[in-house]
Amino acid sequence: MSQSFSFDATDHAIVEQLRLNGRANNQQIAETLGLTATTVSTRIKRMEDANQLRVVGVSDFSAHGFNVLMKIAIEIDGRRASDVAHELAELPEIFAVHLVTGRYDIDVLVALKEFSELNAFLFDTLSKVRGIRSMTPAVVVDVVKYQFDVAPIEEGQ
Amino acid sequence: MSDIVLDELDQDLIRLLARDARVSNRRIATDLGVTEGTVRGRIKRLQQDGLLAFTAITGYEIASKTRLAFINVQAEVDRVREVADAIAQVPLINAVLLTMGQFNITAFGLFEELDTLVETASDRILTIEGVHHVETSIAVKTIKYNARMAKITKPGESD
Repeated sequence: MSQSFSFDATDHAIVEQLRLNGRANNQQIAETLGLTATTVSTRIKRMEDANQLRVVGVSDFSAHGFNVLMKIAIEIDGRRASDVAHELAELPEIFAVHLVTGRYDIDVLVALKEFSELNAFLFDTLSKVRGIRSMTPAVVVDVVKYQFDVAPIEEGQ
Repeated sequence: MSDIVLDELDQDLIRLLARDARVSNRRIATDLGVTEGTVRGRIKRLQQDGLLAFTAITGYEIASKTRLAFINVQAEVDRVREVADAIAQVPLINAVLLTMGQFNITAFGLFEELDTLVETASDRILTIEGVHHVETSIAVKTIKYNARMAKITKPGESD
């Protein structure tokens, strides 16, 4: 990862246009910002190559049939938290894993299709992960706001 | 939440566009063996149904000190919704979830300075009428985060 990469005003302006409409073509963005299409294209490519930008289609949880969202705060005992976190990250039901400060060690976000899957997920899947001392779940009953346009970008992602 | 039925073409479109939203309709049409008009129509429908949105995701490094923080809130049960709506208006808060558990609201935000987080939690959120208790927890490391999947809500919309 290139820590040295920095966005200038033109980069920021292009990103802002892409946030408004990620499908806008280079010509449209160029016209709005008074640039050439080539500049827009070069700038986008440079940010993408440096793993600083991805212009993506984001799909709703429900488009994947996920109707149950949960946040689980996990306490670890007798094993390194980062080892447990990496093991949890491999589970397809878990779409976010963070090492956190505070009372708990790991925070995960879980997406399931239905509540009936919870039993197997808890007792067949999570219970096999060594080092989990306790789990404090919070079942998401409604989403009031959800806007994430800053995220870790991995190479090749 | 109602049951949504997406056919294989919808799912292929979502998968392709998750990788790169800037690929042209013509290119997608060729890849999937359908007409450009079909691609255009399907994308439009998925957007209208709130199942697909396009955005630019920038890396954490754009502000290298940025940290994700969870702000867990205990609010009076009969005021949870209004409290959640008020929290959604607080600057730097990206997500607000109503939850059942130890807390009834969880908010996420991205903060560059610890001071800003403290100010947000103590001065902005704890002072909202109906809030009893606030606990914060900072993500020191992100092991996994799938930004391609989200709850698509329109700006300013609260449901």
